[in-house]
Amino acid sequence: MIEYLIDGPLWYFSLAVFCIGVVWQLARILFTAGKTDLSVARGSASSGAWRNIFSRFVPHHEIAPQVRVQVVAGYMFHLGLFAVIFFAAPHVIFLEENLLGFGWTPMPHWAFIVASQFAFFGLLILWLRRMLNSVSRLISTLDDHIAAILTFVVMLTGCLALLKGFTELRLLHRFTVELLLIYFPFSCLMHTFTFIPSRAFTGAWFGRRGIDA
Amino acid sequence: MFSVKMQTHKIKMQTHNAPLAALSFLLLMVLLVFADLASAAPAQQNKNYPQGVSAINPGADLWREVRQRDLAAQGVTQVKGVDSGVLINVWGDRWAQFRTDKPIKYAPFVLLGVILVLVLFYALRGKVLIEGGLSGRMVKRFTDYERIVHWVLALVFLFLAITGLILLLGRTLLIPLFGQQLFSLLASASKEGHNLFGPIFLVSLIMMVISFARRNIYEKGDLTWLLKGGGFIGKGHVSGGFFNMGEKSWYWMVILVGLLISISGMILVMPNFGQGRIIMEISHVVHVFAAIVLIAVSLGHMYMGSIGTEGSLEAMKSGYVDISWVEAHHDRWARKVKDSGEILSAEEFARQQGRKPGSTDTATE
Repeated sequence: MIEYLIDGPLWYFSLAVFCIGVVWQLARILFTAGKTDLSVARGSASSGAWRNIFSRFVPHHEIAPQVRVQVVAGYMFHLGLFAVIFFAAPHVIFLEENLLGFGWTPMPHWAFIVASQFAFFGLLILWLRRMLNSVSRLISTLDDHIAAILTFVVMLTGCLALLKGFTELRLLHRFTVELLLIYFPFSCLMHTFTFIPSRAFTGAWFGRRGIDA
Repeated sequence: MFSVKMQTHKIKMQTHNAPLAALSFLLLMVLLVFADLASAAPAQQNKNYPQGVSAINPGADLWREVRQRDLAAQGVTQVKGVDSGVLINVWGDRWAQFRTDKPIKYAPFVLLGVILVLVLFYALRGKVLIEGGLSGRMVKRFTDYERIVHWVLALVFLFLAITGLILLLGRTLLIPLFGQQLFSLLASASKEGHNLFGPIFLVSLIMMVISFARRNIYEKGDLTWLLKGGGFIGKGHVSGGFFNMGEKSWYWMVILVGLLISISGMILVMPNFGQGRIIMEISHVVHVFAAIVLIAVSLGHMYMGSIGTEGSLEAMKSGYVDISWVEAHHDRWARKVKDSGEILSAEEFARQQGRKPGSTDTATE
């Protein structure tokens, strides 16, 4: 019964909430009418936008020493997670069979292990920094902690189910994924889709004024 | 022939006296392993044939060779690989028996014994309080990065300890509780988690070495601290630097025993570098014994760092400690701190932590 629920209705429900939620949130942001900028353009908004999208991947040299831990751990986590989600063999097979109808060459098992270790390590450091730095701790909300913990739990349950010998472990992982998909559009995890428009907007706004953001 | 009775009540699991006892214990166990594994009673050939049998079984010699009663002999095969010429591994059975007889049998008593000692110590001694109480004036002890390194190592270690104990003791202790099916699920999950987080433990250990090694070098005054039992023997305060002798010894135990665990763990988790079964068996025994020692002593560390001593936990929470705590436990460092003038008042500390100055929400407990 539980297996049917998790592999069936709950999966489709979580997928629907995720897709509709993400589209709705993005539309809400992109189509929010803003004030028309009446000032004379001193520079190019579009070039400012493109420049800012890529330049923000590297911290500004003036603040780089202070944000070293977050940058290194952040890249470890995000790159590791990206590799695990899209190039781990079980996920490639899942995406092919359940969503896309096509697949691609997954990474070798040892690379998957290394990528997941990077992801775990990075996330652990990031969350601990959030808890241990007094400023980060004070400005963190419940949403931040839930997002971090939920992501960690999804990764952990996936790791525990690696042997593929127990349906229960696979179901536990899938269930946590479905919880994450439902939570995703209403949380700070939306930064996955909004970071590009956000950087572009900031770059365009400053670029039009002739300022390198 | 080398039976060792581990009298847990003789093992002092106070953090400050642990290292020497623990290292001796570890060496003793390693000796025990080799002595036990090496004690191979040569096969006795029964020469007393029952009456009426006049011929020796012609196959006896062949099967004695196959069974390898005397030693693990390497044969010649067309398959080229590690141990591929060994038909029956004599040591494997011995290792399995040793594992059941020694670590699985005694580890629960060691760990429960430590917990019991700590409970008794707390019941009798109570929390070690600061004379005159905490002042509220705070000194920075650890940076954000140092605390992150500590807590990453601690959390990963806890996860590995729990999963490791499930793998070691699960059959004996958990199957009667959960049944075989649930236990096999738990064991499978524990094995995967344990294997994945092992290398993360090694990386955090290396970060720990880089961050803290310099301040943990033994210096003048540390031996006096040890002889006075960290203040438990005799009267009066015992002098200590930034880290006292007990903390330094615990640090080096974590590093050295942790490295031993990590290296043996790497040998076990990556069996494709030419290591044969015997190396794997030895690695496993070293891994288990070192881990039990580290878990046991870490219980003492967790006790002393939390409920055992007033004002200690704050060091790893906010990175700040009360100046009274520093004067009580690390007087040599206290002098340097006072000279530098880097002491925050209670109001400044509260503001820095995002609390209203004068709030009743104390930071120190």
